[in-house]
Amino acid sequence: MEKGNFILNLYPSTKFMLPLFVTISIFFVPGYLYAYLMLPLCILIAFFAGKAKELVNLVVKGLLVLVLFIFIIQSVIAPGEEIFWSWGIISIKQEGVMRSLSLTSKIIAIASAFLLFFRITPVKDISQALERIGMSPKFSYAIIATFQFIPEISNRSKVIMEAQKSRGVETEGNLLTRAKAFIPVLGPLVLSSITSTEERAIALETRAFSAIGKKTSLNELTKRRIDYIIQVAMVILLTILLIGRIWLWN
Amino acid sequence: MSFIEIQDVSFTYPNGFVAVKNISASIEKGEKLAIIGQNGAGKTTTVKMLNGLLKPTYGTITIDGQNMKGYTTAQIAKRLGYVFQNPDDQIFQSDVFSEIAYGLKKQGMTDDDIAERVRRAAQQAGIEGYLDENPYNLPYSTRKFVTIACVLAMEVEVVILDEPTAGQDYVGMQQIAKIINHLQEKNITVITITHDMEFVVKNFDRVIVMTNKRIAADKDKREIFWDFDVIEEANIKQPYISELAHLLRVEERILSIDEFVDSLLEMKAKERVTS
Amino acid sequence: MELIRVNNLDYMYPINDGEKALKNVSLSIREGKLYAVIGKNGTGKTTLCNVLRGFIPHFHKGSLEGEVVVEGKDIRHWTMSELAKNIGFIFQNPFTQISGVKDTVFGEIAYGLENLGVEVPEIKKRVKQVIQLLNIEELADKNPYELSGGQKQRVAFAAVIVMDPDILVIDEPTSQLDPKGTRDIFDMIKWMKEQGKTIILVEHKLELIAEHADYLFVMNDGRIITEGNVEDVLSNPALIDYEAGLPQYARLGIELNKRSSDFGQIPIHRSQAEAEIKKWLGIHVNQGGSGS
Repeated sequence: MEKGNFILNLYPSTKFMLPLFVTISIFFVPGYLYAYLMLPLCILIAFFAGKAKELVNLVVKGLLVLVLFIFIIQSVIAPGEEIFWSWGIISIKQEGVMRSLSLTSKIIAIASAFLLFFRITPVKDISQALERIGMSPKFSYAIIATFQFIPEISNRSKVIMEAQKSRGVETEGNLLTRAKAFIPVLGPLVLSSITSTEERAIALETRAFSAIGKKTSLNELTKRRIDYIIQVAMVILLTILLIGRIWLWN
Repeated sequence: MSFIEIQDVSFTYPNGFVAVKNISASIEKGEKLAIIGQNGAGKTTTVKMLNGLLKPTYGTITIDGQNMKGYTTAQIAKRLGYVFQNPDDQIFQSDVFSEIAYGLKKQGMTDDDIAERVRRAAQQAGIEGYLDENPYNLPYSTRKFVTIACVLAMEVEVVILDEPTAGQDYVGMQQIAKIINHLQEKNITVITITHDMEFVVKNFDRVIVMTNKRIAADKDKREIFWDFDVIEEANIKQPYISELAHLLRVEERILSIDEFVDSLLEMKAKERVTS
Repeated sequence: MELIRVNNLDYMYPINDGEKALKNVSLSIREGKLYAVIGKNGTGKTTLCNVLRGFIPHFHKGSLEGEVVVEGKDIRHWTMSELAKNIGFIFQNPFTQISGVKDTVFGEIAYGLENLGVEVPEIKKRVKQVIQLLNIEELADKNPYELSGGQKQRVAFAAVIVMDPDILVIDEPTSQLDPKGTRDIFDMIKWMKEQGKTIILVEHKLELIAEHADYLFVMNDGRIITEGNVEDVLSNPALIDYEAGLPQYARLGIELNKRSSDFGQIPIHRSQAEAEIKKWLGIHVNQGGSGS
């Protein structure tokens, strides 16, 4: 973990206040403008954490297509009276546009807040924080190991693909050919993972995995005063929003 | 023109990493060839180009006069079999018989023919007693013989063995030697990539030494294992017996125990005469 | 001092074909020696290792009969994590030994001590020490997953050594490694022996066993069929009949002995072979010197 960065050094539960706050508040504050503002807010936070580029990349790659797709579908297909613009049978209606603005603003707000959270919080920190509030070490092992195994699995499937091609399994070509290659590639991946699981479990025991008693951790994770301040402040802010919302309803 | 022609071939990975530079070699039908050298020397890249898993960036590879450029690995697999180092990269059937039969079924053979071929291949690989077993209940070293049987059943013209002796015991080593002999009797080309010099010296004739992405030497094993410039350049080791002979300053280029015993007895006889 | 005592041990796996994996095995392991176990695959070498480390009966069930006493206490009464402090175990496959929860080699080596609840400053001190002693400084900041097989295996050794066990059980550590990786591992084994550790090693490379081991067990079909000092066992032609093989140097000696009755002792490793042949040829050892 990078030292000395204020945001990165916050405790995981403090960092989690961001997606929590965003997700709840966008349903309290009416209109789409507030929800859309969450994206620049996240990018701003990411900037101070030194992760702005990564976040923008993820948003552009992951969200843009989805947002555009929703926009087109909602504005063109959804029924409505007020027609903005039409060309032949295609017409854009006001209701559709409003609906898609509201929908996409929420998706963007929630997704960017969560993306940011996972960018600034290492999985090992999350699991360690969860372990402190009582989660079983076995469960947290499973979480972290899964994240770490993903690149490993992708490497192995490449090797398996090569091995199967070498014995005559055609993996290039049309959809049907590719579908047929699915089992010979997935089979060894799953089977060898199962057989190695037992060995992994035993190997963990050589490192005293099931030792009873308190464990220590090299990962320095401390909850400081600023963490409590931020968490309390966020809860107060949410409460104000909630009261304001009920107030305005009446 | 030789059966396999590698003509001035280079390979660069998409990320710009050069793995093999300007290599050329001709391999005849029925030849037994070992490719040795340190990790990262380019051995695996070279054999992967032979079976089309990688396509040369420059240069051409022909088998039986045909340029391999236009063929997929699956097509080449009918003529050239490749046994991967780790058997668990390919095994996925629930019994040994089906695993060996898998490649044959894809060729549309009849059940009787398949059964016959599977039986024969299993026998050659020394695993005829395990046909009904689940491969994953067998030891790792036996699973390796299952994958060798898969290739034997395909009756290919070239067999590539990637580190076949890794994890094998004394009996397994002998079984591999038997398989190689059998393949040679049938005029099938055998190519191995290996770090095991004892295995090379006992089972192969010609040796290609690769170092730093190039072929450093390509000649008979006796020449290779007594060429100290190549040994030093490629950072390889002489087989145990040759090394001992060298240490004792024996003049002949010793490769086997029998040769060494003969030459030592001769030395001893001379010693008697002079003293 | 005797560290492990096995008497009339029989073991059958829970899923079995009616045959015992270990049959009437008895052995004694004494402090500070390197014991090698050889024999063909599937004859119980790994099963024996699993019993000595307590994976049998604590992880694999099945029926275990006879006596297995580790440091004065029956194996059935040890817990697996207690044993982790006394017996280190290194596996054949470098890939399955990576914990999967650490993103640096430093953290990977520290993992066992974290589980034992050792204080952080102490962990850091010990991990740094082991990294330095085993000469793997260049790996410390790398991700364990990005290492080669040989490097992973060295890290696996370090991760066990840092826990400072008295006994190490090592099951075919080099079978998937290249010559450089094999050399590095045997350098580590040699170093551990010099530290006074007791080592039980399963390995097929007889030339390396001849060089490093003190005592040898030969297994076949679930039994220990012969045992003894490494010089005596590895020079015995009967090993071929036991399907365990012989070191090249012993084969050479046996052949020479057949053809020339005045050849002395059957050598098992290189320096011995060199000396014996020189003696037999009548060359004075001090004038010969090394050729390379």
